[in-house]
Amino acid sequence: MFVRDYMTRHPVMGDPTMSIVEAQGIMAETSVRHLPVVETGKQLVGLVTRQRMRIPPTDLASLNVWEITRFLSNLTLQDVMVKRDAVITIEPDVALEEAAQVMTRHRIGCLPVMDGNTVIGIITEIDMMAQLTDLLGGRTPGIRATVRMPNRKGELAKLIGAIADNGWGIYASGGVQTPKDPSHWDCVIKVRNVPQAELVAVLERIEGQKLIDVRQQH
Amino acid sequence: MTMKRHGHAPILKLRNAAISYETRYGDIEAVRNVSFQVDRAETFGVVGESGCGKSTVAFGIVDFLGPNGKIVGGSIKFQGRELIGRSQEELRKLRGDQISMVYQDPMQALNPSVTIGDQLTEVLTVHRGIAKKEARGKSIRMLERVYMPDPANVMERYPHQISGGQQQRVVIAMALLNNPALLIMDEPTTALDVTVEAVVLDLIEDLKHDFDTAIVYITHDLGVVARVCNRVGVMYAGEMVEVGSVEAIYDAPQHPYTQGLMRCVPKLGSTKESSILYPIRGRVPAPKDRPEGACIFAPRCDYSTDRCHNEKPQLRELSPGHSARCFYSETIDPSTWRPPDGLVPEFASRAGGNGQEPIIRLKDLKTYYEQESRSVLSLVGLGEKLYVKAVDDVSLQVPPGKTLGVVGESGCGKSTLAKTIIGLETPRAGEAQFLGFDITVPVSERDVKLIEELQMVFQNPDSTMNPSYNVGHQIGRPLRRFNVVPSDQVRDEVVRLLRAVRLDASYCDRLPRQLSGGEKQRVGIARAFASRPDLVLCDEPVSALDVSVQAAVLNLLMEIQQEYGTTMMFIAHDLSVVRFFSDYVAVMYLGHIVEIGPAEDIYAPPYQPYTEALLSAVPIPDPTAEQKHIRLHGTVPSALNPPSGCVFHTRCPRRDLLPDGGKICEQDVPPWQHNSDEHRIMCHIPLEELRKMDPVVTSR
Amino acid sequence: MAGTEQTMPKTSAQPSGLARLWEGISILFESKIAVVGLLIILFWIFVAIFAPLLTPYTPTEQDYTAQNEAPSARHPLGTDSLGRDIWTRLIYGARVVLVVLPVTETFWLPLGTALWGVLLGLLVGSTLGLMGGYLGGWVDEVVMRLLDAMMAFPVVLLYMIIIAAVGASATNVVLAIAIVGTPGIARLVRSLTLDIRTRDYVRAAEVRGESPWYIMFVEILPNARGPIIVDAMLRVGYAIFAMGTLGFLGLGLPPPSPDWGSMVAKGRQYILSGSPWAALWPSVAIGSLVVGLNLFADGLSEESTRYQ
Repeated sequence: MFVRDYMTRHPVMGDPTMSIVEAQGIMAETSVRHLPVVETGKQLVGLVTRQRMRIPPTDLASLNVWEITRFLSNLTLQDVMVKRDAVITIEPDVALEEAAQVMTRHRIGCLPVMDGNTVIGIITEIDMMAQLTDLLGGRTPGIRATVRMPNRKGELAKLIGAIADNGWGIYASGGVQTPKDPSHWDCVIKVRNVPQAELVAVLERIEGQKLIDVRQQH
Repeated sequence: MTMKRHGHAPILKLRNAAISYETRYGDIEAVRNVSFQVDRAETFGVVGESGCGKSTVAFGIVDFLGPNGKIVGGSIKFQGRELIGRSQEELRKLRGDQISMVYQDPMQALNPSVTIGDQLTEVLTVHRGIAKKEARGKSIRMLERVYMPDPANVMERYPHQISGGQQQRVVIAMALLNNPALLIMDEPTTALDVTVEAVVLDLIEDLKHDFDTAIVYITHDLGVVARVCNRVGVMYAGEMVEVGSVEAIYDAPQHPYTQGLMRCVPKLGSTKESSILYPIRGRVPAPKDRPEGACIFAPRCDYSTDRCHNEKPQLRELSPGHSARCFYSETIDPSTWRPPDGLVPEFASRAGGNGQEPIIRLKDLKTYYEQESRSVLSLVGLGEKLYVKAVDDVSLQVPPGKTLGVVGESGCGKSTLAKTIIGLETPRAGEAQFLGFDITVPVSERDVKLIEELQMVFQNPDSTMNPSYNVGHQIGRPLRRFNVVPSDQVRDEVVRLLRAVRLDASYCDRLPRQLSGGEKQRVGIARAFASRPDLVLCDEPVSALDVSVQAAVLNLLMEIQQEYGTTMMFIAHDLSVVRFFSDYVAVMYLGHIVEIGPAEDIYAPPYQPYTEALLSAVPIPDPTAEQKHIRLHGTVPSALNPPSGCVFHTRCPRRDLLPDGGKICEQDVPPWQHNSDEHRIMCHIPLEELRKMDPVVTSR
Repeated sequence: MAGTEQTMPKTSAQPSGLARLWEGISILFESKIAVVGLLIILFWIFVAIFAPLLTPYTPTEQDYTAQNEAPSARHPLGTDSLGRDIWTRLIYGARVVLVVLPVTETFWLPLGTALWGVLLGLLVGSTLGLMGGYLGGWVDEVVMRLLDAMMAFPVVLLYMIIIAAVGASATNVVLAIAIVGTPGIARLVRSLTLDIRTRDYVRAAEVRGESPWYIMFVEILPNARGPIIVDAMLRVGYAIFAMGTLGFLGLGLPPPSPDWGSMVAKGRQYILSGSPWAALWPSVAIGSLVVGLNLFADGLSEESTRYQ
């Protein structure tokens, strides 16, 4: 669960001298929303997003239609990009949640992943979503159960023990403090190839814990 | 699979690309209507025979076509950017940063006068401004990554000081240092031995996953494609005739050409029948002779109709991700295909001859080359004489009318063995008898009657014929020299020989440059058989030919052999080719025969460990076949100073079957163990142990 | 018939010898410099052959009323110090170089002195080169050391030594050209042989038990002809140059034969006295012919290597 595992390697990139029109074409063609701007050797010089390419109407207000056309066709990525100093980047060995934190803190949608000043990948919100999905085994069929347990040591062990005693395995799991209730902890587990009724029976028998949701996922 | 999760756009996308070359005869369209795409971490194989335009496609992607080549149509998109119409400057930047190429000859990419370390670090320091020391560390790590033994030491060496397989690994490491999004590999393993090739192919497979690189893999070898590719495009005469996943293409090929190709590659399956080869009739048309407004394959197709000759089929999607350029893909059922009459010769049962006196008998034959030592002493004649033991203690015999296949990697001495028998090299010791004559004397001292009975077919079709004389003259020369027929009948005999190799009389007046590779090889065969020899040595006669031609030439050789009752020695580097062809097979390693016996016995346990390794390295054109994963590490030791004891002990993967980790292998020359009358294995491991091994290849 | 390669209709018909020749010529005409070179050479061959028809004078005819004249209607290139017509002497001189070899006063061989010299050099040089390259071993050592020794001499010195030893005559000039040219030719042929001997067709001949002479001259030599021909063209140029040099030094053809080199030597005395014509024209003749041959050879090698 590091950036290097979830980033997109070989991101689509642009040159500083690429025209806005071409960049928009590329972004549409490849359905990406962020374009790191690089020079020779994949050295990062800036970042362009779709918002960045929207020209504020005030810039165009004083121009006539010919001037607008010329203005647009002369506009290149280096005119609109976020400059290198302002681009927030990350290293491949950073833990994924730390990257997520950086993104939430700065309210940004992507982080170019750097090796020195060379772009080796990009990680975006979508990658984070994918990681969240994988964390809870969302893309694999099975039973998803949510168990609410008191916030104290040994409770998770009880849950795992109960599953293990039946010779089953946990495919994926995640835990989070119960919203608005610091004394409890919600744990989501994904179990495969187990009849739902049997699983429910086992989970309901665990002392002090409460099965609050069971659903089959396909 | 996690890699497809975002629905990424493909790294590379070609749509109807067309590429032309300007020549003296006007523009020639080498490639047209080529469409495919390659995703991250995917290997797309472009497969086809020589001249079908597969390399042109590879070079076209980065516009490396040379001054006379140009892209004339379609679209080539890399990461969403159109590459056609880019300036050379922009393309050069792309090639440096995001697209790398690996060629067949690694020396093309390496500078012979700069150390490997400097060449690798330069990639990082020049392009990416990384400090020298850090770049060095990264380079060493990358060399480790490509499984280079002793990387720190290799960094200090010059390219010519490491083996071909290692050179190719350096080139791959250099390509990967840039962390390219797209890697184009043009026959990267074709020049390598099969055991080395196997290791490099494993490496390519691993790297694809680790670096998420999209790979375009150009090759003529269907076996290699099955091993490394996810998807395949089959090219024929400049067009892509079928595209699909590797499983679909091999399991249910939809285009008659693909089906034909599958039938003419040796399979190395479990039975001998599966190794019968069915050539495709006709030959690939030259670019200027390609039919217009018709199916390009129609002239060679067994299913062609009037429609095929009058209308051009488009690449149609038959099932998701699987397309073919044929009108009748749905109705053609390859399993009901029967070879047309005369495509494959009738093979008479080749029983008998076993009790007969062998026609050739070698005993403990040794052929050494003297090596000039470079010490000062040798200048005054006092230096120690060094010998390259090219052939060492070789004993074998072949009954008349039979074929012996000799197999081994390059440098194993198989060609020297052939040269010794034919008299171009003189053995230092041992006995060699042919028809009762002593053949340890050079050809210049042999009797004409003996020379006449011992002929040879050569490897390279381009140099087997003298370019200055026409075909008739060259076939006629042995006839005249050996007085096979009265001189007024030479011409008739030449025509008869040409017919025997399925060429018509008009070929008499042609010069070699007017012939295709397969035709030249046929003429070479006719020349060898002109004096009606008793023994013909074939030195890799088909290894330089395309698969469809290869099958035809092999079948032809067999047919002629049966007609004349000739004995043959067939030298090959590949166990899959000799199987169908040979009655007996000898496996050579470093000048020694390590296993010899009837062909069927060689391909089944017990194996000599080297034979087992060779068999498991052969790329099999069948993605479903189970093949043992045995890889030989290191390189063939120098024949100047061969390992003590068993010559194979330095690389043997089976030594641990013996007590002490096979200490005995380093000390004693292994004994010959007789599995049957004719099948013997040179190994310390007891036969019982060897018999317990599983077969290397099991096909479903 | 099925299953064979000839079932495809052959679109490229068997070209006749004439068509092949035409193809060769058309390749030649692709190169402009080869055409220019060829035109210069053809010009000299033409005037040499038809010399008697192109001038009213003979090369030795003297006119004491017209000495050291500048070009005029009567003497298109002027006259020399003895009043001989320079144009006439030039074109008769070209005969000796390119068209005939005067062995004795009465016995003349066709082909010029320069050509014979090069041909003789080719014969000896090719044989030595083939032997060195194909037989190898001590033969190679001996032949190559011998030739190295010859190459160590400055060319002009070697010419002078040879002519001084055997005397000045057309045949001896041929001999000198041949001897001086031999080492270079031998080296070239040897290096070509070293390459060609590794081809499979040479191996095939060996397997047939052919004699070394057969292999050298029948299997190897014809395949080395391309570079040898180009080299020979250049060597004809050198030979003409050498003839000029020898003539200039008085070691060429005995006077009064119209020899370009001796014409320059004679004419040079009068350059400063205002009559440069007698020295100028033969120099131009030598220069143009050598340049023509060089251009032709260059164009030939360029075009023949371009499409292979």
